[in-house]
Amino acid sequence: MSNQLKDKTTEELIVEKHLAALTKGFQSWPTLEHGKMPALGDARWTADLIYSTWVQAQTGSVPKNGLEYKVGNSGGGFDLLDFKFADKAKASTAKPADTSISLNKRSFGKRCDIPLPFYGAGMSYGSISQQVMLSRAKVAKKWGTFTCSGEGGYPDELIPYKDHVITQVATGLFGIREEVIRYAPIVEFKYAQGAKPGLGGHLLGDKSSIAVSKIRESVPWTSLFSPFPFHSVYSIEDHKKHIDWVKTINPEALISVKVSTPNDVDMVAVGSYYAGANIIHLDGSYGGTGAAPQIAKKNIAMPIELAIPKVHKHLVKEGIREEVVLIASGGIRTAHDIAKAIALGADGCVLGTSELVALGCTRCSNCERGRGCPFGLTTTDAQLSQLIQPDRAAEKLDNLYRSIQEQLQEILRDLGLSSIKELRGRVDLLLYKRENQKEKTEGEKN
Amino acid sequence: MSIASQSGLEKKIFLDPTKQSTLPKKQNTKSEKASVEYQRYEIETAKTPQIFPYPNRFRVKVKKHRLLLLILKEIFHYRGKMKVVKDPPCVYGVFSGPVGGMIPREHLCVGCLRCTTQHPDLARIEFNADFLKLGDSYFSNELIDTIMNEAKDGNVPVKGAGYRGRFGGTGWNGMWTDMSEIVRPTRDGIHGREFISTVVDIGEKASFLDFSGKTEFPSFPKINLPLPMILDLLPEDVYRSDILQILSNSAKKVESLVVLPFSLIKKESLTGSHIVPLVKKGEEDEFSQYYSEREISMVEVEDAESWQKITNNFPQLIIALRVGFTEDLSNHLKAGIRVFHLTANYHGQAGNEFVLDAIGHAHRQVVKHRLREQTTLIGSGGIIAAEHVPKAIICGLDLVALDTPILVALQASLGGESVSSDSHHIKLPPKLESKWGTQRIENLLSSWRDQLLEILGAMGIREVRRLRGETGRAMFQKDLEKEAFGEITGYHE
Repeated sequence: MSNQLKDKTTEELIVEKHLAALTKGFQSWPTLEHGKMPALGDARWTADLIYSTWVQAQTGSVPKNGLEYKVGNSGGGFDLLDFKFADKAKASTAKPADTSISLNKRSFGKRCDIPLPFYGAGMSYGSISQQVMLSRAKVAKKWGTFTCSGEGGYPDELIPYKDHVITQVATGLFGIREEVIRYAPIVEFKYAQGAKPGLGGHLLGDKSSIAVSKIRESVPWTSLFSPFPFHSVYSIEDHKKHIDWVKTINPEALISVKVSTPNDVDMVAVGSYYAGANIIHLDGSYGGTGAAPQIAKKNIAMPIELAIPKVHKHLVKEGIREEVVLIASGGIRTAHDIAKAIALGADGCVLGTSELVALGCTRCSNCERGRGCPFGLTTTDAQLSQLIQPDRAAEKLDNLYRSIQEQLQEILRDLGLSSIKELRGRVDLLLYKRENQKEKTEGEKN
Repeated sequence: MSIASQSGLEKKIFLDPTKQSTLPKKQNTKSEKASVEYQRYEIETAKTPQIFPYPNRFRVKVKKHRLLLLILKEIFHYRGKMKVVKDPPCVYGVFSGPVGGMIPREHLCVGCLRCTTQHPDLARIEFNADFLKLGDSYFSNELIDTIMNEAKDGNVPVKGAGYRGRFGGTGWNGMWTDMSEIVRPTRDGIHGREFISTVVDIGEKASFLDFSGKTEFPSFPKINLPLPMILDLLPEDVYRSDILQILSNSAKKVESLVVLPFSLIKKESLTGSHIVPLVKKGEEDEFSQYYSEREISMVEVEDAESWQKITNNFPQLIIALRVGFTEDLSNHLKAGIRVFHLTANYHGQAGNEFVLDAIGHAHRQVVKHRLREQTTLIGSGGIIAAEHVPKAIICGLDLVALDTPILVALQASLGGESVSSDSHHIKLPPKLESKWGTQRIENLLSSWRDQLLEILGAMGIREVRRLRGETGRAMFQKDLEKEAFGEITGYHE
């Protein structure tokens, strides 16, 4: 021990000390030997959901000690939906159900199948640490799926994983250089994001470190605004020009269009399809990982549960449903949420918060405060970000992915389906459980 | 705030009951020109922390003997490297006081839970019972806390990690506002080049232009307010000299209005066109006498008879009829009343209806009489969060009047169910410094206006007047759920 101590700097020892204690804590809390943290959780992410995500990240399976790992306590949406497992029974249990989906349904362009019906959400370098980005890229590579750069390009350390990194192009065009378009298997145009629809993005000055600003080609330690909307896009035709621009640089890239969920989201989806999108990515209003005005998170645009059927039905009506991939995000927390989103009409989902919770997020909402996330997730602070070790963190995500896949296979088996693709739009397999309890307060904000 | 004629000229006026109008025909002097020069409206904010005790959200509990043991263990383990031993798990300074974790600095705790996560047997973070007790069954502790922060610095509340609350709900919560995705060239968002106006008008407007050869357009008194919020009447027992001064100063500084009982205005000799007297039945003559020589822009009355009496004496004065949301407006509209202040109780109840539905009914009633463009609807009661302002306007109000949030900004405690001005437990702190109180209210109004701009910006609407009654820019949970879940077994409206 003494030699080890001698070899390490004080800073290294500090990180080591906290890391060891945190690892122990993440293991011991979900056992419930200390009860539940009184101040942990909220209506959407209950303490049970947070604990069970920690358990899945550690073990690769759902908790066995009675923690509720399927739904939260929000009193609506996914939390009131269930599956009609009573009608189950038919599928063979010998072969696990297929959980893969295709991200290109058009008759042209490259094939792109992923083994799980979800991939990683866009979280920018700066809003999260490089360590977190690397962890997510590692697990994406391992599973043959994708993670997304978010708006802000990505550091050179991610280049070895470029085949699994979606490059996001958003209104600030931060970090967008020719090479990140050329690298990208998928280019995602972010028109809006669910947590702050119509308000653009904002990276606080404290997080815009020298490394971050170098990639973003900006001045260090100054706040960066990604304005809403794209000032070059006022129509679907303008949007098509953006796609043409990307295709000129990288003809192979699939195109994803990320939009939030306004009243006319169905029309936006159709327009995006005709402009050449392979993926329509709907980002519902209740999700989001970064800082956002409270008023926007709760009040602007509709929750994803309500947007998916609206868009799915409209695409069917337009006769283009089989040519476009519908991806849902913004409030997808669990394997059961994924399955419900697909039953409502999505092809697959995008996970953001769930990955952060698996890495230790307690959803304390202090991402933007002081040095950033005290657990080293949404921070660029040199010491705090050391609390995430990419290899170990990638293992946790790997475990989470495995657990989600197993649960999906179990759901499919119980529904008598052999593939996740068969579940899409099967609202007949869902059950709505109305909550009896009337909401206590009219004025309740959150 | 300014009073303007239909011609658009702006000048403050003194109302003289003997004259029809004192508005000038054209601007002559330098100062008059300067008075109409464009200035972007802004409310000046300044940090104004709470000065009376306010409960912290969290309690930090540390088992001291275990902490001592941990410290000893770490001293041994790290061979006396005290920098390592002393480095606390909290990055917000809770354990960085003179005696570290022995006396945690609770007021710095933000509830990140890192300490308790990594030391389950030693540290525990709990919700503070005093914090949980804040508010009442309608005005939740979360909303109180939000207002406290808004009044403190005037900022738009920003937090990370997505939405934490329940899925939709009833009342205000069952409604979402729309946004514009791929936008039209006419807008540029809140960070763009264009200006989003929050100006609203109070007063009758001409419903059409008359080209029949007349050279004068009908002239109605009108007030332009730079924000769709005024300060409403408060329970009578909270009015003290200091509170009246704060209310008057705040309304004046933000160029808005404050409704106050006429008797108090007179008693305290409050003056200014930003003060709106509420004239009770029987006070009309006294009012007419008192205001014959004083500056005033608007008055509120509680019945049609009072309205008529004051109209006779002050034909150029804006007179709002203050009635409950349940009132049938038909006869009043026929009688020529064009400005209404509709009220619900502090919990947003208007008879059997919630205020949001009541607003819709009132709005549609006026639309039915084909008088909506000529009529101003002010609403109050149950509007206790920034998001309620755009929602109330979408449902049909022109502007809102704020009551209990103003008191909360001044650190009043609700102290139990506070349902109406007659049935409440609101308690204000002892004498308040005028500068502090005025700034707190300014901060609150600035924050709420900025949040209104966020909503308007997201929608691509460039002026709040266009939001009024635009229910097409709202999404209601019951409609969306019916569309989304209608085919699912077990779903029923």
